[in-house]
Amino acid sequence: MENNGWNEFEIGAMLRTFDGAIEDIAGTRQEDRNYTQNSSFTASVADWRLEKPVFNKDYCIDCQFCWVYCPDISIISRDKKVIGVDMDHCKGCGICVEVCPTNPKSLLMFSEQTDEESAIAGWPTKEDKEK
Amino acid sequence: MLEIRWHSRAGQGAVTGAKGLADVISTTGKHVQAFAFYGSAKRGAAMTAYNRVDEKPILNHEKYMEPDYVFVIDPALVYTSDVTINGKEDTKYIITTHLTTEELVAAQPKLEGKEVYTVDCITIANETIGRAIPNTPMLGAFMKISGMYDIEFFKESMQRVLKKLPQKIVDGNMLAIQRAYDEVK
Amino acid sequence: MAFDKLELNETEVWDGNHAAAQALRQAQVDVVSAYPITPSTAIVEGYAKFKSDNLVEGEFVMVESEHAAMSGCIGAAAAGGRVATATASQGLALMAETLYQASGMRLPIVLNIVNRALAAPLNVNCDHSDMYMVRDSGWIQFDAFNPQEAYDLNLIAFKVAEDHDVRLPVVVNQDGFLTSHTAQGIHPLSDDDAYNFVGEYKPMNDMLDFENPVTHGVQTEEDWHFEHKARQHSDTMNIVPGKIDEVFAEFEKLSGRKYSQLECYNMDDADVAVVCMGTSVETAREVALEMREKGIKAGVVGIRVLRPFPFANIAEVLKDIKAVAALDRSAPGGAAGALFNEIAGALFNTDSKMLLSGYIYGLGGRDLTKKHLVDLYTELQANADAGKLLTQQQQFIGVRGPKLAFL
Ligand code: SF4
Ligand code: SF4
Repeated sequence: MENNGWNEFEIGAMLRTFDGAIEDIAGTRQEDRNYTQNSSFTASVADWRLEKPVFNKDYCIDCQFCWVYCPDISIISRDKKVIGVDMDHCKGCGICVEVCPTNPKSLLMFSEQTDEESAIAGWPTKEDKEK
Repeated sequence: MLEIRWHSRAGQGAVTGAKGLADVISTTGKHVQAFAFYGSAKRGAAMTAYNRVDEKPILNHEKYMEPDYVFVIDPALVYTSDVTINGKEDTKYIITTHLTTEELVAAQPKLEGKEVYTVDCITIANETIGRAIPNTPMLGAFMKISGMYDIEFFKESMQRVLKKLPQKIVDGNMLAIQRAYDEVK
Repeated sequence: MAFDKLELNETEVWDGNHAAAQALRQAQVDVVSAYPITPSTAIVEGYAKFKSDNLVEGEFVMVESEHAAMSGCIGAAAAGGRVATATASQGLALMAETLYQASGMRLPIVLNIVNRALAAPLNVNCDHSDMYMVRDSGWIQFDAFNPQEAYDLNLIAFKVAEDHDVRLPVVVNQDGFLTSHTAQGIHPLSDDDAYNFVGEYKPMNDMLDFENPVTHGVQTEEDWHFEHKARQHSDTMNIVPGKIDEVFAEFEKLSGRKYSQLECYNMDDADVAVVCMGTSVETAREVALEMREKGIKAGVVGIRVLRPFPFANIAEVLKDIKAVAALDRSAPGGAAGALFNEIAGALFNTDSKMLLSGYIYGLGGRDLTKKHLVDLYTELQANADAGKLLTQQQQFIGVRGPKLAFL
């Protein structure tokens, strides 16, 4: 955010989410919304990550657990199908991996520098449940 | 400036009486003030209420008062509190009691040499309103002693002040005012 | 409209609490969120009664504490409604945190403080400890000296608070019991005149505007907090006084009753003057007139607007007065009284030769009698004649025991 002076902002401990009015907010996707600089949507927390989640659609059953539990709304889901992770807002907490119920998991944490292809190539196989 | 001090017990209606009197007087173009000392007054505790009346706006907010009239609407207070405090030479006392004025002065020597009037507001209220609320009869007695307003005008005004009460209670109050007016000595 | 109107008489005999409640009704307050405390209860109770009698269209929210009461007001004001409540003393103390939220969020809430002493010892009667406790909370603060003014200032408060250049909450102070429970003749406005004066509520950044979503009560830390507070102070100092004067003038046109940030009585040719607040202003006015009959040119200054403090006005009014007493109805806790300090600050760095002495009086409802004021004016005249203070700078009026003097 710009370092405006005391006379250069709207009064009140108040911030606007959008530039201008928004009509059908529920029917408008995040990327199509006109977020202001004040919205956390325009701020990236990518550099907070030490590890990143990688999504492997081969095992995903679209249960949406990850989408529900992600504290930063960073699981991108379209028509109830997960299509990936919003890497500008994912802070690498690993909760999505924790809640993913498939075997093997459809989301796993890798180091930041691991590329997606080799991550998926080396994806673990099904584990037997301990008896 | 006319100043009145009421001696009462919390719950006997001194505040309502003082405000009602102020209301009536204010309709005649005079300036009024009605207030009370509450403290942590519980029902039954002794308390005082006050009226000020003047031709010009009343600016004085001190609680201290040398009253022209003292109204005592509970019969025991004349013994248990000093109803003559800050009195002037010519302060007039109107006191609720079943005693005659002579008997009362004999029983409370502090009243000796003062202008004392007596009226049994408690009995009057019981017999007319059906409850021991001695505030309106005291005002009837005051109209007689002070000659402030014609009693019919005063009763009409009080009907307006009391208009939110049930008609039976209003009628009882009118009888009480008239009886105290007639009976005060 | 869906509610009934009241026909009022030209003169009504109302106490200060009822007068304030009537003003809340006439302003058609949308939300009152409240917790009762003596001597302020009758104000919110009055609003609730008006609501149950269909004389106002609004919500009465009963909450579990004063902290929750003001929190409810903040929520309702941020949502976009006309909001008011009332409290006193300990209730205000419990509310204190949320007062800063309200002013920082620039929400136009009207709070009636019915001034009462702070425990211990427990006491329900009037002094100005509660008023003083929140004087730096960022609220505009008005002070009523009698029930009529408690009514008028409530109407004025909404109009000032809700102005889009102001958007600050307003306190209307009145003396506990001495005003709140004292019935006097009051000239109310008609329902229509009162409502038209206050005007329709004009929303600003309200949370219920779904097309323009806003976040209220944001966190800023070191990078923004100071700028927000600076903006608030700047608006309070530069914009609010002019707006108050404008609204006072508009109210005078409507009602014939004139208000000023500083109320000055017999000050033009005064040698000695008392500066005070609340009902004491009126008692002092009466005594000042009596002193003039005795040859002492006495005047009175009443502080109508405590915040923003009318710094320049007070310097102007007092600069040529020979001796001035600042009366503070609050235990100063190891300092000079607040009014003493404000006045000293206003006159410092000027070439005024005014002699200033401070008096602490009336704590816990202790009566300020006309006799006290006669003695006070006499003491001021002695200072004026001697050309210097003959007493210490801080004294107590009306306290039993050996004489107290400090500073
Ligand atoms: S790692 Fe944490 S922040 Fe990132 S997508 Fe998973 S749950 Fe969301
Ligand atoms: S929790 Fe796992 S299985 Fe469920 S939607 Fe997310 S990635 Fe797919």
